[in-house]
Amino acid sequence: MAVTGRSVLVALFAVGAVLISGRLSALVTAVALALLALLLVLDALLAASPGALHLSREGDTSLRLGDSATVYLTVHNPTRRTLRGRIRDAWPPSAHSRPRSRSLHVPSGERRRIGTELTPTRRGDARAAGVTVRSIGPLGLAGRQRTLSTPWAVRVLPPFHSRRHLPGKLSRLRELEGQHTVMVRGQGSEFDSLRDYVPGDDVRSIDWRATARGEGVVVRTWRPERDRRLLVVLDTGRTSAGRVGDTPRLDHAMDAALLLSALAGKAGDRVDFLAHDRRVRAQVKASGKGSQVSRIVEAMALLEPELVESDPADLVGTILGTQGRSRKLVVLLTDLDATVLEEGLLPRLPALTSRHLLLIASVRDPAVEAMAEERGTPEALYRAASAERTLGERRRITAELRRLGVEVVDAGPEQIAPALADAYLDLKARGRL
Amino acid sequence: MTTLVTPSPDTTEAAPPQKSGAATFWRKVRTPVAVLAAVALIGVLLSLGDEQFPGGHLEPESVRPDGTRALVQVLREDREVTVARSSSAAETALTGAEDAVLVVFLDHRLLPSELQELADLDVDTVLIQPSLHSLNTFVPGVDMTGRIEDDDPLEPHCDLPAGVEAGTADVGGEVYRATTGLSTQECYPAEEGASLLRVENDGSSTTVLGTGLPLTNGHLADEGNAALALNLTDADTVVWLRPDPPPQEGSASLWELIPEGVRWSLVPLVALLALLALWRGRRLGALVPESLPVVVQASETTEGRARLYRSRKARDRAAAALRSGFLERSLPRIGLRPDASPDAVVSALAQRLGEDPQTLRALLHPSGIDPYTGDDEGTARLAEALDELARRLR
Repeated sequence: MAVTGRSVLVALFAVGAVLISGRLSALVTAVALALLALLLVLDALLAASPGALHLSREGDTSLRLGDSATVYLTVHNPTRRTLRGRIRDAWPPSAHSRPRSRSLHVPSGERRRIGTELTPTRRGDARAAGVTVRSIGPLGLAGRQRTLSTPWAVRVLPPFHSRRHLPGKLSRLRELEGQHTVMVRGQGSEFDSLRDYVPGDDVRSIDWRATARGEGVVVRTWRPERDRRLLVVLDTGRTSAGRVGDTPRLDHAMDAALLLSALAGKAGDRVDFLAHDRRVRAQVKASGKGSQVSRIVEAMALLEPELVESDPADLVGTILGTQGRSRKLVVLLTDLDATVLEEGLLPRLPALTSRHLLLIASVRDPAVEAMAEERGTPEALYRAASAERTLGERRRITAELRRLGVEVVDAGPEQIAPALADAYLDLKARGRL
Repeated sequence: MTTLVTPSPDTTEAAPPQKSGAATFWRKVRTPVAVLAAVALIGVLLSLGDEQFPGGHLEPESVRPDGTRALVQVLREDREVTVARSSSAAETALTGAEDAVLVVFLDHRLLPSELQELADLDVDTVLIQPSLHSLNTFVPGVDMTGRIEDDDPLEPHCDLPAGVEAGTADVGGEVYRATTGLSTQECYPAEEGASLLRVENDGSSTTVLGTGLPLTNGHLADEGNAALALNLTDADTVVWLRPDPPPQEGSASLWELIPEGVRWSLVPLVALLALLALWRGRRLGALVPESLPVVVQASETTEGRARLYRSRKARDRAAAALRSGFLERSLPRIGLRPDASPDAVVSALAQRLGEDPQTLRALLHPSGIDPYTGDDEGTARLAEALDELARRLR
């Protein structure tokens, strides 16, 4: 049951009628109220039944964070009455659906399609909450309202801002593989092919045996190893919830992981993905050749920082146990927190580094670096000292990790993705994969 | 860096430490609350033991000078006293009583019919300063003939035992005289009549007293007032009738003065307000709940430690952090390992910058009392000196 402003106006007339009725006022009151109630009930009964409507949806099912998607709702009116009223397609607040509600007019037997534009501000699944239809009767006084369930979900994927770095990194990769320009020989340790010597080639790469067999001088070419395995691990524990700038660490880490996965996929390596805090939150295993990026993006969409302390022992166990036995590059995206790492990961490092190559990537907080520069008031000095201490601990744990044979990438939120990609390309160039 | 996750709604600005809202609210209201509580407590203490007595002229419960509580209490020692507030209550009390006397005050409050019923009861009746109507009903033939204006006590001058035994009494008030042919006993005579007048009917008597003054708390102890009052009420059962004022009739309240139409219009007005509330208040579907994301800055622990340093004035820690930060950044520039000894660092820096080794040592590795941690200005000088060194090394 719902009433309109018009019904209030009618009630106002009833008040006026009773005011001027004089001695008959009791009778007039009774008649006016009865008439008002009769009109309201009659109007509500004459309205098209909202429960009888057939609703169906179509439209986008996924989008990247920051984009807009449109979901269409088709309202079919099978009743013999015309539907007049308002409709609201409800979505969670963070989906920022527009319009909030709109008026609706569907004659008997017809259907109307309405679009709702979503501009989500959060990753994950945005689920339609329900469609509320308010059907107003022919007098426009009262109506019936019903919330109908028409499930639909739009998956909001990570934005992958670092996509713009991909062409540059790919051209560097092709350079490594010797495909970029004729003059630059590919680097790496894997034998690729023999070709004729051209001036400028390193004389040490001349294959004398092949030269002796043929006419001209022949050189060997190498290329970086292919079909190596990569495991990208996201730490979704409490440290990933901290915001650097206006974005949680986890989202910066996702961005970097996506660029790395895309690059490694192009380089012919197999990329596995794992999100872990106290247990495995998401996992993508490489299946055959080809890029895993779309599957990883899907898996990342639902990840949220968990407010628990990460369990490095379980993480190391998971990496060693279930992810295959061959040597691989493990890229762990976490926070370089001295106390957490010293107590958790450092004691378990040997087990990991003896089998795999570990690379730890971490987002540096520019706010702390800015704090270290603050001068002037005593308070600013204390802040600077505190920031110096944080930075010092970070340097110390970085040095400690490097001493233990771990590669460390520590860069600001804007640079972390390209820095991680560069570190991967360096490792590839040096044949350390 | 550890991110302490707190449910703070917005941590983007480094606000000064705030007490929770409840604590602030309590600090604000505690003084007024304490004052109110104290006032209430004092009021309660003062009101303890304070019995409320009704007031009013000749009121049997009143302890004021014009009340009659004293007399009623005295009568209650050896007689049955009933205080009646209406004629029907008095009749009920008198029913079945053998030796009873009805004392009637303020009888102008009684309706003529009630007076007639009381007169028809045939019991001994004492009328205190009766109205003319009452006089005509109870003792037809007795008239009020005047009023004694002065307060002087009067002598009985009669053979009515009640008056004779009492002697002088403060009975100056209205005076009465019977028309001829009526057997009456008159006491306390004045020029125009007598203050006390008794009419004997067959079996019962009616006594009229011109004033209630001798019965009041204020005058009971004076002259022969007490004896007069006790003698007049000499019976086993005394019914004390002091009628309450009759309910007001005939005056219209404000509600009744409002026109009928306006009064009735409130009913549809309520309906209008209900419709208005329903129109504005009815939501188009329920609110959609959503869990909020955690909002916490990654630099939260660093900020927290800075506030801790400041609140404890931990200048030694601050100075150590500034020094080690400078050294860790500068040592690679002068070609030293991070674990170089203080002597090596000082001498290398002195050589490079041409500074006095002693000054550098006091700046970087002080032994004994640290000259830079005495006060905040010292720490500021240290930071300035370190910044200057870093600038020259660049």
